[in-house]
Amino acid sequence: MAKIERSQKLFLDALKEKFQGQDPESVKTTFYNFNGVRQSPRKREFMAAAKGIEMERGISMYDPEHCHLGGMPMGQRQLMTYEVSNTGVFVEGDDLHFVNNAAMQQMWDDIRRTVVVGMDLAHATLQKRLGKEVTPETINEYLHILNHAMPGAAVVQEHMVETHPGLVDDCYVKVFTGDDAMADDIEPQFLINIDKLFTSEQAEVLKAQVGKSMYQAIHIPTIVSRTCDGGTTSRWSAMQIGMSFIAAYRMCAGEAAVADLSFAAKHAGVSQMASILPARRARGPNEPGGIKFGVFSDIIQANRKYPNDPARASLEVVGAGTMLFDQIWLGSYMSGGVGFTQYATAAYTDNILDEYTYYGMDYLKDKYGFDYSNPDPAATITPTQEIVNDLATEVNLNAMEQYEQYPTMMEDHFGGSQRAGVMAAACGLTCSIGTGNSNAGLNGWYLSMLMHKEGWSRLGFFGYDLQDQCGSANSLSMEPDRGLMGELRGPNYPNYAMNVGHQGEYAAIVGGAHYGRGDAFCFDPLVKICFADPSLTFDFSEPRREFAKGAIREFKPAGERSLIIPAR
Amino acid sequence: MAYTPQYGPGTSVVAENRRRQMNPNVELDKVRDVTDEDVVLVLGHRAPGSAYPTAHPPLAEQQEPDCPIRKIVEPTDGAKAGDRVRYIQFVDSMYNGPSQPYQRTYAECYRFRGIDPGTLSGRQIVECRERDLESYSKWLIETEMFEPALTSIRGATVHGHSLRLAEDGLMFDMLQRCIIGDEGVVTYVKDQIGEPLDRAVAVGKPLDDAWVKAHSTIFHSLVGLAYRDDVEYIEYIQRIHSLRTKYGFMPVEE
Repeated sequence: MAKIERSQKLFLDALKEKFQGQDPESVKTTFYNFNGVRQSPRKREFMAAAKGIEMERGISMYDPEHCHLGGMPMGQRQLMTYEVSNTGVFVEGDDLHFVNNAAMQQMWDDIRRTVVVGMDLAHATLQKRLGKEVTPETINEYLHILNHAMPGAAVVQEHMVETHPGLVDDCYVKVFTGDDAMADDIEPQFLINIDKLFTSEQAEVLKAQVGKSMYQAIHIPTIVSRTCDGGTTSRWSAMQIGMSFIAAYRMCAGEAAVADLSFAAKHAGVSQMASILPARRARGPNEPGGIKFGVFSDIIQANRKYPNDPARASLEVVGAGTMLFDQIWLGSYMSGGVGFTQYATAAYTDNILDEYTYYGMDYLKDKYGFDYSNPDPAATITPTQEIVNDLATEVNLNAMEQYEQYPTMMEDHFGGSQRAGVMAAACGLTCSIGTGNSNAGLNGWYLSMLMHKEGWSRLGFFGYDLQDQCGSANSLSMEPDRGLMGELRGPNYPNYAMNVGHQGEYAAIVGGAHYGRGDAFCFDPLVKICFADPSLTFDFSEPRREFAKGAIREFKPAGERSLIIPAR
Repeated sequence: MAYTPQYGPGTSVVAENRRRQMNPNVELDKVRDVTDEDVVLVLGHRAPGSAYPTAHPPLAEQQEPDCPIRKIVEPTDGAKAGDRVRYIQFVDSMYNGPSQPYQRTYAECYRFRGIDPGTLSGRQIVECRERDLESYSKWLIETEMFEPALTSIRGATVHGHSLRLAEDGLMFDMLQRCIIGDEGVVTYVKDQIGEPLDRAVAVGKPLDDAWVKAHSTIFHSLVGLAYRDDVEYIEYIQRIHSLRTKYGFMPVEE
């Protein structure tokens, strides 16, 4: 380890904006004179809104000046704003709670309502079993029918109820294939064009993975997956697929071959975004706890947009991952709490993790000659224990020193769990990006945790006593129930399943290993291609920017209901 | 082979201070006096002078099962009397508070009996039988484990360990359980859970920067000693991590 010079402090602008007129390096400040919650425009808005609601419904509601600690409201210190990292957009903390942020909701909606379904099995059934002809023309016709049916319209039967298109306008199906000739014959409206969306190197790899097969990228209506659950997605999709095949290929609705098509659409040919969870967590497929980290890193598309900046690409995964896994999965699905937002946002606000990570990138270049801006498998560093220790030690020490040198930043990340997640993420990302090995990244994470705990004699909340104290021992293990390669680990992996402030970062560490190599995908090329689609409501190449838009109320989500409710 | 605890690595003052606090053979300096009643007031669990509420009859009065462990382990006074289990919780400023969460837990485990500590980033709680707690609390407040401005006793709403200090040098406490008076003495005007006290409890004047720095158990490159300067400490952590990694991986030795 050896400290390197880095004059650029990415977090300084945010600190100056947050703590206006104050020296960010001063140890002392003034408290107790901020007028409590009323210092915050958002809290004032909440209070005014609650008054109106109380008048209307006759039941009391939000009353922070009475209910918080018996009349001692929040705001005895400054209630800070936050810059969503790398966006320049400052928001209030409340704006980053997923209930208050339509973009966050939509990101999860767009994942939960997605399945990828192969067409090869269905085409084989049609051709070999029924002797039907399958041509580009029939496929286009089928897709036309499917895009009518998937949102909830009838294609075969008389006198059916249907859904209002204005309520399900986010629902559609596109296809993709590695066969250029076939792709040319598909109507552009139905095609995810790999060549246009990826760099030429990435497109070549992805098309080779897909081969001549064809897949449907299906997004059922947001409102359906919200009313039901992620397990509904494949069922809803398969039902409309079956009916559309019947209509497009003039099949008999009751013939046995339909069962083959249904089986393919529901089971044999379907890729869920997340696997089913065990009974103790009791969720079906396509729920957050079942998303493998490798898959999540493919869902996020920043490496497609920023192929020469694996740090940026990984930081986007951190933002998206902490939002989904901490705020929505652990925070609400599993715990029911409201405070998890505070853990998660630390990793994607005020450019603090960004600064620590780019310090790691500079250190890789300075000490090991690894140019992170030129991702190449041949350029990655062999991940020995000695190198991982060196990288994680230096990045962690630098992060601790930055917190120490800038007391306002320590105050910004006022909780140990926030700091622990951020510092360990920077260490893990440096190790994984530099070595191209996800498990090496996880190993760096755990050294950071041990070092943090010993240096400051504190770490995070009780949960950090569990996984972060024993994590070194499982980080390289491949033994069942103990270890696994990073790509296949996930929120339900033993020891990862109950701890806030980790899973999004782990996902990014896994992604970083591939972004650092310049890989076209991390784990599943189908998922990578599916979420590259620009027609999706949420832009997965810029999750942090999307969250910022949501925070300032400029993000337009799907799932509209105003068509069927009284005007307000 | 007799085991001799080493308490921890490091060549720095911080490392040495940590070992001193942990080692029960070291008598820590008594820095201030507080009365038994003061302790009871700040804890806020019972009114001074009132009887200890009990969770069960005294052990001597109840039928104890024939248990070999009970024959080996001598109950504490609180356990013998059947006291309920109560707590004291500390918040330690990162600006050189003399003890810090894990450090407190380690020191308490070496020095106290019958305790259940819990360690977080912003607070450290220790639970035990009530009369034992009062005795332990007195020691924790009177010795160099405590500094009036940088250590705080807070049952709930603990926010403050990582915040900048107030202009008067006190760690932030949204409930302002303690204040600094004209004489410069820090007094608790609320108990640890935030209930106003009938009379204030004085815990002395804040100690000067030199004392605070000399007694610190936290590495801090701005107000104390930089972590990276204690090379032995860093290498020790790397070694522990490497060994855990290797034997968790279960390699076959060649």
